[in-house]
Amino acid sequence: MAGEALEIAARSLAISGTATLLSSAWSVVLAYLLARSPRASRLLVPFLEALVGIPTVLVGLLLYLLLSSQGPLGMLRLLYTPRAIVVGQAILITPLITSVAYRVLTHSWSMYGELALALGAAERQAARLVFSESLPGLAAAVVMGFSRAFGELGVALMVGGNIRGYTRVITTAIALEVSRGEFGLALSLGAMLVAILVLVSLTLRFLGRLREQ
Amino acid sequence: MKPRLLVVLAVIVAAAVLVSLTQLGAQTVRVRVTTTTSLYATGLLDYLEDQFRKQHPNVEIDFIAVGSGEALRRAEMGDACMVFVHAPSLEKQYMARGAIAEGRIFAYNYFIIAGPPSDPARIKGEDDPVDAFEKIYEAGEEGRALFVSRGDNSGTHVKELSLWEAAGLDPRGRPWYLETGSGMGNTLLVANERGAYVLTDIGTYLKFRKDGKIPNLDVMVQGGDELLNIYSVYLVPTCSGEEAKYARMFADFVAGEAQSLIGSYKVDVYGQPLFYPAQGKLDWLAEKWQELAGG
Amino acid sequence: MSAAIELRGVWHMYPGSGRWALRDVSLEVAEGRILAVVGPNGSGKTTLLKIAGTLYRPTRGTLRLWGSDFWAVDGDERLRLRRLVVYVHEKPVLVRGTALHNVAYGLLLRGAPPEEALSRARRVLERMGAGELAGRERGQLSAGEAQLISILRAVAAEPRVLLLDEPTAHLDLEKRRRLASLIRELRGRGMGVVVATHDYLLARSIADEVVVVEEGRLKARGPPGEVLEV
Repeated sequence: MAGEALEIAARSLAISGTATLLSSAWSVVLAYLLARSPRASRLLVPFLEALVGIPTVLVGLLLYLLLSSQGPLGMLRLLYTPRAIVVGQAILITPLITSVAYRVLTHSWSMYGELALALGAAERQAARLVFSESLPGLAAAVVMGFSRAFGELGVALMVGGNIRGYTRVITTAIALEVSRGEFGLALSLGAMLVAILVLVSLTLRFLGRLREQ
Repeated sequence: MKPRLLVVLAVIVAAAVLVSLTQLGAQTVRVRVTTTTSLYATGLLDYLEDQFRKQHPNVEIDFIAVGSGEALRRAEMGDACMVFVHAPSLEKQYMARGAIAEGRIFAYNYFIIAGPPSDPARIKGEDDPVDAFEKIYEAGEEGRALFVSRGDNSGTHVKELSLWEAAGLDPRGRPWYLETGSGMGNTLLVANERGAYVLTDIGTYLKFRKDGKIPNLDVMVQGGDELLNIYSVYLVPTCSGEEAKYARMFADFVAGEAQSLIGSYKVDVYGQPLFYPAQGKLDWLAEKWQELAGG
Repeated sequence: MSAAIELRGVWHMYPGSGRWALRDVSLEVAEGRILAVVGPNGSGKTTLLKIAGTLYRPTRGTLRLWGSDFWAVDGDERLRLRRLVVYVHEKPVLVRGTALHNVAYGLLLRGAPPEEALSRARRVLERMGAGELAGRERGQLSAGEAQLISILRAVAAEPRVLLLDEPTAHLDLEKRRRLASLIRELRGRGMGVVVATHDYLLARSIADEVVVVEEGRLKARGPPGEVLEV
């Protein structure tokens, strides 16, 4: 059982980690574009902030309807695969990462972007300075996104299917063990989940401190 | 950096990750199977898969555990190749629509009615579960008893509703009738806390009882054809290729070779079987199945 | 002679604020002169300087730099013009690294070789008697020291016009004196300097000309002795 738990933990890390990377790639770009265009951000940012709390099972259901073999994307045959969870979690955490990154970058732009432009930087140089000075804040946004992906149940259950040895992640395993009445096992899995989240957060903090020095 | 360049970059990264993801794990044959939660939660299906894979290591049986209704609906949508269910009346509807086919009964056991030891509705030892339900209804209306229902269109829920129907009663909406809308385990816990009656499959009941989680729920009514719980496996006609081939092999395995494994599964743990193999009783079971499916 | 910086009929409104921060402002800034912009807080001094410094695009009106309509040109020409004017924020913002790196930063952005940029930065620091700050990280500088560094960073970039927003806000008396003499020295080298301040003493002591801003409008303009009655 311990071996299986580790395997599930490793799979959860790989799936949610990939989802976070994927989502960060487009979320940070979107956040930068919003930070640079006040008009678009006035329309979009409240919308994104509202979506931060979107129920995971709703995202799961929408994605299920898309990916089902009768759905518009059925030919991709992604349903009940780890890839489907990756895509679903990446979508799920996009509003969170984007809205936090937007705040970080807006603040950073008002300080460092303006500074760079004032000193005669090209837009590209200003962007580089803004990103470099925003790294701690962006890292926090990414950690928050990872945390939500790692701890969500609805998407993994709906489009992953909790398949043993394939799409079973920590949260779906917890749900299964609860339904089986194995509360002790469910609790240890939960403790493992929290431990991993704390570890990831601390690791990034440590890396940030190394960089400051 | 030019915004357009950033967008292009992000799209490339996203595409690369997606492509690399789709390349992973393409070598094994995966058979998608939807199954009822209570059946999956006993661990029997994982156990049978492990035995099957000793002969066919290149096959992965992907069990997706949902309620019986959901399992059949997903199969109809083409999202499964095989279904394990225990809801004859639902099965019949889906068969008539051609969503599932080649049904085989592979196991059976009995539902039980459990309730608080004080037994306020006086049903303990009742032979006929329909009579027991009538008494619970009566006691409920008088404010002496509660009943907890799954309320999730699962096989157990469908069974429960058919018992109410046989009694000519409709408890839905009554203040003493609580629908949890969740799995068997959670429903048992609710019944235990509230001192309520509940219809449950034997596997989940024994497990929770043995772990001491439901000290407040005794067996009230058991046995009898009315409480027969028949498990069937179906193939999905829209499924094709290697997946369909192995799905059929697994169904053959479950209904054939594996029958003795089913009968002895976890007897060492509970001192009684969780499932009885269908082999040798197929005629009787087929007849009962027809009755349960409702003519 | 065409002005270095020319604002013509400039109106500005921050998105979502619903009120004009600047109303119909026209102003020329020449090289080799010191112009003080005075007025109460919130009168529009900072907005005026940021528009002159190309940081904000005015809602209405035009900004000409050395005769070119800045927001009508694009690409390399716009960058070339932008580099002729440097704005220094009231709150000093330093980039990661030492004070020396910060002073060199404007030169590095302009593509100067790092060694040359650093040695020029060191000279600028030493001329202000601040050589001992060179090796300090940004977190190890007082508010006044940080302000000095951010002003010297702009000076080291050698713009044709320097825009200073409340440059004395965090400076003690000694540093104020040194800053005033630095500004005069820059004028002597032909640089134009615009100082936005509510420090009337500073404006009186160094400005060739003073403009008074109130509620987004230019109220008065002239030699300090005329405009700033004591």
